[in-house]
Amino acid sequence: MTADANVAQVKTAPAASQATRIDRALEWLGERLNPILVKEARQALKSRQFLLAFGLLLIAAWGWSLIGLVVMEVGDGYGQTGPGMFIGYYCILAAAIGVFVPFGAFRSLAGEQEDRTYELLAITNLTPRQIVSGKLGSAVVQLLIYLSAIAPCLAFTYLLRGISMPMIAFILIYSVLGSIGLSAIGLLAGTLTSAKHWQVLLSVVLIVALLLVTWFAIWISAELVDEGDRIFRDQDFWPVMAIFLTVFVTYFALAFYAAVAQITFVSDNRATRLRVIMLIQHACLVAWCGWAFLTQDDEVIFALVGFGAFHWAIMGALMTGEWPELSLRVRRSLPQTFLGRTFYTWFNPGPGTGYVFASGGMIALMLTTWLVLLVGMNGGAAQNISDRVVTGVMAFSTLATSYVIAYLGAGLLLVRFVRRFTRTTLFSALLIQIMLVTLGTAGPFVVASVVDLQAIDDYSLLQITNPFWSCVEIFDHRNLPPETPVLLVVVPLAALAVFVMNLPAILKEVRHVRIEKPTRVAEEDEQIEAALHPCQGPVPISPWDVQ
Amino acid sequence: MLTSHPMIELRQLHRFFAATRAVNNVTFEVQRGQVFGYIGPNGAGKTTSMRILATLDLPTAGDAFVDGFSVVNDPDRVRGRLGFMPDYFTTYPNVDVREYLDFFARAYRLYGKERKQAIDKVMAFTGLDALAHKPIDGLSKGMKQRLCLGRSLIHDPPVMILDEPAAGLDPRARIELRTMIRALAEEGKAILISSHILTELAEMCDQVGIIERGQLVAVGSVDEIQGGLRGETNLVEVRVLGGTDALAPWLEKRPAIGEIKTEGDLVRFVLAGDEDAEAQLLKEMIDAGFRVVAFGARRRTLEDVFMQITKGIVQ
Repeated sequence: MTADANVAQVKTAPAASQATRIDRALEWLGERLNPILVKEARQALKSRQFLLAFGLLLIAAWGWSLIGLVVMEVGDGYGQTGPGMFIGYYCILAAAIGVFVPFGAFRSLAGEQEDRTYELLAITNLTPRQIVSGKLGSAVVQLLIYLSAIAPCLAFTYLLRGISMPMIAFILIYSVLGSIGLSAIGLLAGTLTSAKHWQVLLSVVLIVALLLVTWFAIWISAELVDEGDRIFRDQDFWPVMAIFLTVFVTYFALAFYAAVAQITFVSDNRATRLRVIMLIQHACLVAWCGWAFLTQDDEVIFALVGFGAFHWAIMGALMTGEWPELSLRVRRSLPQTFLGRTFYTWFNPGPGTGYVFASGGMIALMLTTWLVLLVGMNGGAAQNISDRVVTGVMAFSTLATSYVIAYLGAGLLLVRFVRRFTRTTLFSALLIQIMLVTLGTAGPFVVASVVDLQAIDDYSLLQITNPFWSCVEIFDHRNLPPETPVLLVVVPLAALAVFVMNLPAILKEVRHVRIEKPTRVAEEDEQIEAALHPCQGPVPISPWDVQ
Repeated sequence: MLTSHPMIELRQLHRFFAATRAVNNVTFEVQRGQVFGYIGPNGAGKTTSMRILATLDLPTAGDAFVDGFSVVNDPDRVRGRLGFMPDYFTTYPNVDVREYLDFFARAYRLYGKERKQAIDKVMAFTGLDALAHKPIDGLSKGMKQRLCLGRSLIHDPPVMILDEPAAGLDPRARIELRTMIRALAEEGKAILISSHILTELAEMCDQVGIIERGQLVAVGSVDEIQGGLRGETNLVEVRVLGGTDALAPWLEKRPAIGEIKTEGDLVRFVLAGDEDAEAQLLKEMIDAGFRVVAFGARRRTLEDVFMQITKGIVQ
């Protein structure tokens, strides 16, 4: 080797070692990436659909830029063209990340089920969570690619004046979050059915819903751009953003883990994680109720309690469709202690525990509202609150809670009856509940139209089975309606009666106790434990054993 | 001390679809290093049992075990130990052979060099190394079958479930597949294989189970099945001059003879017994005055037994 060559080698050595280090780092990263993400990225790079969509996005963005330039040329050149250009670019981006990406996520999972590739995927060591997160990760990668393609155009609108950088960032952050949330919903929809005809129907419904959401996002963005930076200075801006984020994060987690639960093996525990998320959601809701009462007007509390009732009614209806028998696998991990059984039993899968969980959630919401009222009235920020609001909130929360418990209980009784003849699913339970509530709502109108047509217009006790009108009646009036005392006695009593009727079945579910692991499982667990923590001499069992 | 257990075990397995009893009280075991042939007409319940074993379906009653783990209660432990080759081949678009195997190797949690070695080994074993970068859509049926086998082998599972692996293969590919399966069994893998090509199963299987209308109608080693329940049985063909009218009634009187069929001057029947019994029978026929011009005996094949046992009734 010559001296020159030696010098050259010395010079290139640091660069080479840096490249090797980068290679190693990339390899390390590649090894740890979700296999589905790796596979789908490889597929996407070779697929015509992606290239076509990406090409269209670029062409549309360039086209809009050209139109903008022509418009500016025609004008006096002094106007603020930023907002108009931004909305144009945003429409292009919204179509890509609001429709293509979530629908792609849906098709990705639904297509696997349709083509039967999912079966081969399901029997690998990938967990359901890894499968869903891989698909979601792939959607996020696509989203980032679309965003990176149009980001320079959006940044360009800032230079055209009329729109601020914080506003651009604000809209983009919410759009990205929205797209990720919609993708999670798309994945959940992809797990719902493997039957071709249902998938077609679901595809149509999803596309229509995504188009509507995208149109709404564009409309909101246009409003925000029009409003300008004033919204950031509003005193309620940050709390409202925090509420939005809470709702987003918790519902995203719920949709994500619902999709995971849908593809989890039947004998596994598919309920507990979802119930934990519901509990967290509930805690957030209660916290925002407290905040609303202390800082806002009473209408916000009515809205939050109403939202809570709606939430628990839907979740409760789904939970009442769970299978009543616990698999041997789930029974291996049941809580054993008295305290454990008291508090954790309600997180176990089962329609009875689900009913108690939803009822408990609703009762907790009602009691929290009462507690907040008491605290507020006795020296809190709301001590000047009127009696009408206090009684109104208390009556509203009591009535909403009672309706939720009564209808869920009646639905559970019906589901149990139907189960004698055929297998029920979560969705059939939801359907039964919807039918029941529809019957309770529409029934009084039918009766009223037969008996006395005038009775349709005015609220009366005939509408006692109608949860919506009864609750709105309490919320809407300056003074509580005269039917309130009767409603507050009859509806809670009905809820109690329905709860008692369900009690034997609930107790049957609660009686399950933990069972031992099978010998083979215990053996393997011991082997794994021994491999992870090899025993190195006697293990001290008290401080006096330590030398 | 570890408990001993078969690598595959079906224990009173039932799977009903409404009124159809797809699998009805099926019980058998497959030990390490054994190839178990699962035979039955279409719709007999083979694929259903195999799907249950592969944790893709749930039994209505009973249970199945892979390496001692229940497919119902411990599917996560079963899946890593199992290589399943279904009777269909589906793949992803825009993926080549190596990428396909790489994806499944990653899905079975093989990392770094281990993954590369596993892919190379499987590609060499299945003869796919020359097609590493060929798109899967462009592969022939035989090559796709090989790839499917390769996918099921990628994580070196101790148990293999192969549903009709030879379907649609040409004779050469079938022979190669048979060699591969025997090689896998010699490595110690327990293999459950279903096929319609019974002659091939007879050559590669240690144990055979015949299923019809969801029920296991015969199970045992190939020799046991071919020999029948009465011990060794052979199919005998005799041609006599002067008509078979007298021969058939003469044969019917002998307890070791059954299933007598006459076609022209040819009489076919099943004889329970070894070659001495055949020689003795021939001597007695000649002594009785029958003008025997041909006397041939052959062992019953799996096909003969299959045709005899099954009725071909579809549920």
